[in-house]
Amino acid sequence: MSKESKISPNDILATAQNLREQVGGEFHQSLVEAIYTDATRIADRAVIRPDSKPRFDLDRTIDKIVTSRIFGFPLMILLFTIVFWLTISGANVPSQMLATLLLDNLYPWLKGVFAAMSIPWWIDGLLLDGMYMATAWVISVMLPPMMIFFPLFTLLEDFGYLPRVAFNLDNVFRKAGAHGKQSLSMMMGFGCNAAGVVATRIIDSPRERLIAIITNNFSLCNGRWPTQILIATVFIGALVPAQIAGLVSALSVVAIAVLGVLFTFAVSWALSKTVLRGEVSTFSLELPPYRPPRVWQTIYTSIIDRTIYVLWRAIVFALPAGAFIWITSNIQISGLSIAEWVMNWLNPVGLVLGLNGVILLAYIVAIPANEIVIPTILMLTVLGSGISGVGGGAGVMFELDSLSATLNIFTAGGWTLLTAVNLMLFSLIHNPCSTTIYTIYKETGSMKWTLISSFLPLIMGFVITFFVAQIWRLVELL
Amino acid sequence: MNDPVILLSIGILFLGLTAFLFWPERGVFPRYKSFRKMSERVFHEDALKHIQKLALQNKYPSIQSIAGALEVSADQAAIILSSLEVQELISVVNGKWHLTQAGETVALQVLRAHRLLERFLAEKTGFSEEEWHQRAEKLEHSLTLQEIESLARTLGNPSHDPHGDPIPSSDGKVRLREGQSLTMFPINQNGRIIHIPDEPEAVAAQIRAEVIVPGMVVRVLESSPTRVRFLIGGEEHVLAPVVATNIIVSEVKEVPVEIIQGESLALLKIGEEGEVVSLSPRCRGAERRRLLDLGILPGTVVAAEFISPGGQPTAYRIRDSLIALRNDQADWIRIKPLIMEQAS
Repeated sequence: MSKESKISPNDILATAQNLREQVGGEFHQSLVEAIYTDATRIADRAVIRPDSKPRFDLDRTIDKIVTSRIFGFPLMILLFTIVFWLTISGANVPSQMLATLLLDNLYPWLKGVFAAMSIPWWIDGLLLDGMYMATAWVISVMLPPMMIFFPLFTLLEDFGYLPRVAFNLDNVFRKAGAHGKQSLSMMMGFGCNAAGVVATRIIDSPRERLIAIITNNFSLCNGRWPTQILIATVFIGALVPAQIAGLVSALSVVAIAVLGVLFTFAVSWALSKTVLRGEVSTFSLELPPYRPPRVWQTIYTSIIDRTIYVLWRAIVFALPAGAFIWITSNIQISGLSIAEWVMNWLNPVGLVLGLNGVILLAYIVAIPANEIVIPTILMLTVLGSGISGVGGGAGVMFELDSLSATLNIFTAGGWTLLTAVNLMLFSLIHNPCSTTIYTIYKETGSMKWTLISSFLPLIMGFVITFFVAQIWRLVELL
Repeated sequence: MNDPVILLSIGILFLGLTAFLFWPERGVFPRYKSFRKMSERVFHEDALKHIQKLALQNKYPSIQSIAGALEVSADQAAIILSSLEVQELISVVNGKWHLTQAGETVALQVLRAHRLLERFLAEKTGFSEEEWHQRAEKLEHSLTLQEIESLARTLGNPSHDPHGDPIPSSDGKVRLREGQSLTMFPINQNGRIIHIPDEPEAVAAQIRAEVIVPGMVVRVLESSPTRVRFLIGGEEHVLAPVVATNIIVSEVKEVPVEIIQGESLALLKIGEEGEVVSLSPRCRGAERRRLLDLGILPGTVVAAEFISPGGQPTAYRIRDSLIALRNDQADWIRIKPLIMEQAS
C-alpha cells in the first residue's frame, strides 16, 4: 500500500459529513420513497391479476346504495335497530331459562346437598349464597344477549358493511377529534364495554384509539340495560297512564342511551383538545370488498373471541365479589353488619347526590359486574330497612317478579323519583366494571390511561348527579 | 345543611375553583409549573442563544436587547449578563460582549436541543405546526446531554429541523445555510424552499397560513416592492416582501414539470382518475408512512369513487383497493389528472 492511500478515520468522517450535506435533509425520506416506488414497479411487472372487473362493478353498486345521501343513514339505523331488537327479544327467553335453571332449581338443590352433608352454615353461605349466586346472576343476565349480539355484529363486519358505517359517520367523529371507526367500537360497547375496548384495535391511530377506549364506557352496556329498564318501568312508567307506560319507560331508557352517545362526542372532543393533543394521529380507512359472510366460522370465532373471553373475565371477577357481598352483610360489629355500617356512613353523601347509601355501596361491590347492581340494591335495602318476609336473608341477592313488590321495597328504602332518575344517570356515568378496567390496562399497557378511563366517568357521574339533585330540589321548593 | 341553594352554590364554587386551578395552560397550577421552569438556567441559556444569534449577523448584545429578548427588566438583564461573565461564558473585548469558547458550546448545545425537539414534535407527536417552536422553547432547557444524543439517535441523526434550519452537530459545528431569499430569487426559475422562519410568530403564522414548508418547489412569477407572487404546486401565492424575504430558496437543476403543476387530489371529481406526482412535504412522520404503505407513490393511478354522505371522507380506488381519505389528507397528494379513455 502506498503512503497516499493512508486515510485517517477523521477524513472518512469528514467526507461522510460532506456527502450528507450534499444529499440534503430529506435524504432518508427520499430513499424510502424510491425503494417503495421501485418495489411497486417490479410488482406491477411481475404480478398478473385475473380480470376482476365484474366483481368490482357489483361492489360499487352496493356502495352507491349504502353510502348514498338518501339511503345511507336510514339503512344504517334500520340495520342496527334490527340487531338490537333481535338481541333484546331473542335473549329474553334463554335468559329466563338460565335464571330458572341456575337460580330456581340448581340453587335449592345445592342448598339441600349442603344441608344433607351438614356443612357449617357459614361455608354454605359463603360458597352458595355469596359466590355461586353472584356468578349465576352474571351468567344468566350476560350470556344470552352476548351470544346473539356478537355473532350478528360479526356477520355484518364479515360481509363488509361495518367499514361503510365508519365511512358514513366519519365526518361527525372527525369534528369531535375522533375516528369514524369509533362508531363500531361504540356499537360493540352497547353489547359489552370490555369487548368494545378490544374492538378499538381496528383504529390504528394512537390518539383516536385512546379516545375510543376512554369513552367506550359511555356506551350503555348489556349489564346496565336491565337496571335502566327496571327503574324506568317502576318509576317513570308509573308517572303516566297505564296505556302509554310501556312506551314512556322505553323512551326514557333510549334517552339515557342517546345521552351516553352525546357524552361520547363531548368527552372525545375535550380529550382531543387537552390531554391527548400530543398523541400521534393518522387517519386511514380501508373499505374491503364485499363477500358472502362465512356464517359458521363467524359464529365460532365470535363466541370464542368475544363471548367466552368476556364471560370468563366476568366470572373471575364475580366470584370474589359474591364472597365479598356475603361476608360484609354477615359479619357483625356491635350489632350491625359491616354492610350496614358502610351504608350508614355513605348515606349522607348519597343523599346529597340524590342517591343513597345503599346505591353507593351497591356500586362499590358491583365494580366486578354491573349485572348484580339491582339484586344487590334490593338485598341491601331489605337488610337496611329491616323489612321481613322478602328475599333470602343477609347477603343473598334476589329479584322479584312483581313490579309493585319491587316498588314497595324501594319506597321502604326512602326512594323518590329523583333517586330513580339519578340512579339511571349514575348507571350510565360511572367507572367501568373491573373486567373493562383490566381490558383497558391490557390494551393500553399504561397505568395512566387506565386511571383516567376509570376516574373520569366516576367524577363526571358525581358532578352530574349532584347538580341534578340540587336543581331538582330547588325546583321542588319553588 | 341539605338546603339545595347552599349546596348548589358550593358546587358551582367548587367547579369554578377547579377550573381556575387546573384549566389547561391558563389555570394557576399549569402556570405555576411553567413558572417554576423559568429558572436561572433558562435565563442564562436564552441569553447565550440570543448573543449567538446576534453574532451570526455580526451584531453585539446590549442590556436592552437582552431585556427585550428574554422579556425581563433591564436590571435583571444586567444581573444575568454579569453572572454569565463570572462563569466565563461571555467576555468583554473592545467594550463588546462576545461568547467565550465555553459560552458558544453551551449556546450551540441549546440550539441543537431546540432543533432536534422541533423535529421530534413534527414527526413523533400530534402537535400542530404552530406549537412546535413554543414547545421546543420550553423543553430545550430541561434535557441533559445524554438525552439530547439519544433523541438525535431515535430521529436518525437528522441534519435539519422542520423549518429547514441546520441542526448543529454534537461537536458544536453548525453548517451555514446556502440559498437566497425568495425576494431576491430570479423570476421564472424553479427553486426549492429550504427554510421558513419560526419567529417572529406573526411572520411564521402568515407563512403557515399559506401552507408553505421546506422541500416544496417554487417558481417566482412577480417580485415587486409591494408584493411577491409565486407558484407552488400549481397554486398561486402572494406575500408581502417583508414576509417573503424570510423564505430561503435554493436553486434546483431539474424538476419534472408535473411537480410544479400537480393538482390537489381533493379537487378530483367523482369518476375521474389522476396519476400521483408527489406527496406534499407537509405530510410527515407516521402520516406519511401510512400513505406510502397504502401505495400512494409517484406513478400510482388514483380514481375518486364516491363520497361519504357526511361530506367527507372520499373513497378512492388505489391499486385495486378502496381507501377512504379525509379532505386534508387528499390535499397532501398532488396529482396529474388523466383523461379517461372511453372503454370500447
